[in-house]
Amino acid sequence: MSVKIIRPTAAFADLLPAEYLELAANGPYASPKTINDLGNFKEIIEEHPHCAGCGVALGVRLTAASLPAPADTLIVGTAGCSFFGLAQAALNYSCSAFGNQNAVASGLKRMLKIRYPDTHKDVVVLVGDGGIADIGLDLTLHSWFRREKIATIMVDNEVYGNTGGQESGMTQEGQVLNMAPKGKNFAKIPVFELAQVSGCVYCARVTVASPKKIGQVVRKAILLAREVGPTYVQIYTPCPTNFKFPPQQTINIAKKAEEGHYSFREFISDEAQAYWEKNFSSSA
Amino acid sequence: MSITPYRVLVGPEGYLPPAAASRGVLLPEKGEALIEGAIVPEEEAMQAIATKLLSAKNPFFFPGPQLLWDWKEGVAQKAQAVKRLADLAGARVIPMPDYRPKYPMINPAVEINPNHPNLTIWHNKIDLCVFIGVHCHYANMALKIIRGGTSCYTVALCGEAGHEDAMISLCCMGMPELAKLTEIIRTMKGEQAA
Amino acid sequence: MIEQKVVAPEYLFNEAEREEQFITGSEAVREAIRRANVDMAISYPITPQSESMHLVGDIYAEGYIKEYFRGENEFAVMSSVAGAAMGGVRVFTATGGPGTLRAFEAFPTWAGARLPVVCAFMTRGINSPLSIQPDTLEMAYMLDTGIIMLHAENSQDLYDMILQAFMIAEKPEVHIPVGVFVDGFFVTHTRDRVKIAPPDIKLPPYNPYSAPVPVMDMENPPIRQMRDPFVMKSNFISYAAHASWQQEILAAAERSRRHIAHYLGSLLEAENENAQVMIVASGTAVSQSREAIESARQEGLDVGLVKLKSLRPFPTEELKAVTANAKAVIVPEFNRVGWLAREVRAALEAKVKVVGGPRVFGGMTMPPDLILDEIRRCANE
Ligand SMILES: Cc1ncc(C[n+]2csc(CCOP(=O)(O)OP(=O)(O)O)c2C)c(N)n1
Ligand code: SF4
Ligand SMILES: [Mg+2]
Repeated sequence: MSVKIIRPTAAFADLLPAEYLELAANGPYASPKTINDLGNFKEIIEEHPHCAGCGVALGVRLTAASLPAPADTLIVGTAGCSFFGLAQAALNYSCSAFGNQNAVASGLKRMLKIRYPDTHKDVVVLVGDGGIADIGLDLTLHSWFRREKIATIMVDNEVYGNTGGQESGMTQEGQVLNMAPKGKNFAKIPVFELAQVSGCVYCARVTVASPKKIGQVVRKAILLAREVGPTYVQIYTPCPTNFKFPPQQTINIAKKAEEGHYSFREFISDEAQAYWEKNFSSSA
Repeated sequence: MSITPYRVLVGPEGYLPPAAASRGVLLPEKGEALIEGAIVPEEEAMQAIATKLLSAKNPFFFPGPQLLWDWKEGVAQKAQAVKRLADLAGARVIPMPDYRPKYPMINPAVEINPNHPNLTIWHNKIDLCVFIGVHCHYANMALKIIRGGTSCYTVALCGEAGHEDAMISLCCMGMPELAKLTEIIRTMKGEQAA
Repeated sequence: MIEQKVVAPEYLFNEAEREEQFITGSEAVREAIRRANVDMAISYPITPQSESMHLVGDIYAEGYIKEYFRGENEFAVMSSVAGAAMGGVRVFTATGGPGTLRAFEAFPTWAGARLPVVCAFMTRGINSPLSIQPDTLEMAYMLDTGIIMLHAENSQDLYDMILQAFMIAEKPEVHIPVGVFVDGFFVTHTRDRVKIAPPDIKLPPYNPYSAPVPVMDMENPPIRQMRDPFVMKSNFISYAAHASWQQEILAAAERSRRHIAHYLGSLLEAENENAQVMIVASGTAVSQSREAIESARQEGLDVGLVKLKSLRPFPTEELKAVTANAKAVIVPEFNRVGWLAREVRAALEAKVKVVGGPRVFGGMTMPPDLILDEIRRCANE
């Protein structure tokens, strides 16, 4: 980029809304920020219409704050609660049909590589568990098989949040939800393991209770996707509305999950590890 | 295509006004322009814009993202020229910085958004507006909403093919056309003063 | 690969000296794409489309296209095509029959997002029962997706229309997808004489920054950019914005009329337009009608022909004009539902008798005699 697309023209600069002037002066574009800088720069997502205490909102916001190069990042989304926040993001975002995100991202990434051979354009998929594990599973896996250089990030609330609390493939076994009136009768879909065997060179599992870890793994996933191959990050983002817990409990619930089914996990291929050590290990 | 040609007139036209293109209004070719749905020579439309601008009570320019951000060569100069044009015509400026439906709420005193342009027009009691530097899709989307719900007269200065949904639309606007329109306004102002 | 020079589209279409080749419809697709300056093509096999996309793959390997791959299914392919188009490049793909329906959600999505994708549809039967044979049924479903629809009669049309489709689709005030439809097997798998431009010229490249919507590349403003519509709140303002957005897609198709007329000459072609009996058809039904008309004229019957080249936008006014003297209009079709007869009836507003048929489907050919029988009946009424 293109910091130039957020550089006001002199003629109209004084008329721009304050949030834009702040974004231009103190956004994460010219000098990229990390999650440790939160509070000291103008974030690309602040306002959003998610429910109070929404884990997805927090996951999306933390991911946005972890992008290594927001000035050259394009986020591909899909239907689901994640689009509430992302529609307000100060970068290019798209979502077309439910579940097609990794196919859209494949076409976009390949073409940006051709249009801008000398710039890293980071194409990041950021969508819900239903979007990846259920309706979009085949397109997700195939993008990994094809070794598309995309970072795929799942904000996993273990439910279809946006459509009113139905069971998803990532719901835990036994959980009663809409469309699972007797409780879900199969386990969470092992997307992490699928990613590992399908060509992802880096996979990580985190929760919104550990923002710094999110900062590290998102950055790593995106940087490795540039040169080595597809990467996958799965973030636990609890949904107070559909699991009916008080909004201020979101972090506690995520924290507790870290001791149980959502412990921190990381996988890196030998090739990715060698690349990482050679290029980034000092800054990791 | 209807038998009586559709006229693109000042609103409020009603619940859901049609796209003028779907009612047979054609776009101008280079050197031509549209006034209220009819193709006229560009010069005539520029005169009409000048007359409308100078007689409006509360005219506003709405520069879009392509003019607000200094993203490619020539934009800064063009933005200057548009600003001068607005000043000369005694029009104020409210920017359209982007196209997202804005959350949580738009401040209609400081910005306009193509998804709900009527809010800004009502709030500021704008009786004439000029679109420039707005991507064509979003301009057309907004122009119809304005025609449907407000009594604001709409003008589009378009660098591409023009806008049937504006009451006056120029097409292929570059720096020379901008200069010509500025001259016409300057002359007309001088005549009015004299 | 032959070194190619960019030329004006009008030169490539009308002025450059053409060479006549005896080739299949699939080969005509290859020759069109060779000259189309396409950035990316994505494929997924389905008979009778596969051969075309093999050949497109071959010219990718030769260097005429920058990127090409086989996707995992038609919905994925159409989605990848969308991603590429959002990134500001010229893309091509093709499918047919079940592939069209498998990908269906993508088409209104393309139109709604103002993507100037060109897609060829090699039409065939839709399950069930399973059939790979020619049938234009899928076109019935496509009529209201918002895309522009051209229908080729033969390989010459197919070659010309694919090239012209890019120019029409990419006009800033149009900028919606164009589908070039062709009857599978009858055209794709038969040889015909096709006049084609020299191989050392190609269309001008696509300019994404003239598009009516921003390009998704972080190189053009606004930085806050949702590349697809997101006007989804539950209030009147959102509904009105959504409605205005949809009207704009319809308006874009209306604006294409001028460009279709410019590049294709017209939206329809008429012969003997003052006749008492007119046949109105599109695709290979036109060729079958020509034979029937030939026989009818020998019998002294007064019959004319209308070949519809553009179905979306539909040439309503032109059709009214060329059927003004007719007492009957016959609409032969290669499908069971008679979507074209419905269109023609709606356009002519009950001012003339519209005979829906003859119709054949499931791969059956249409003997000209079937049409001739209908002409005789109408002429003698
Ligand atoms: C083809 C299609 N099927 C169904 C839907 C309805 N739908 C929209 S969002 C959604 C669920 C999203 O769940 P998830 O991906 O987990 O995201 P969340 O809302 O939980 O963040 C569904 C089923 C749709 N938009 N399109
Ligand atoms: S339903 Fe759940 S996931 Fe969706 S916005 Fe509300 S809290 Fe967040
Ligand atoms: Mg979910």
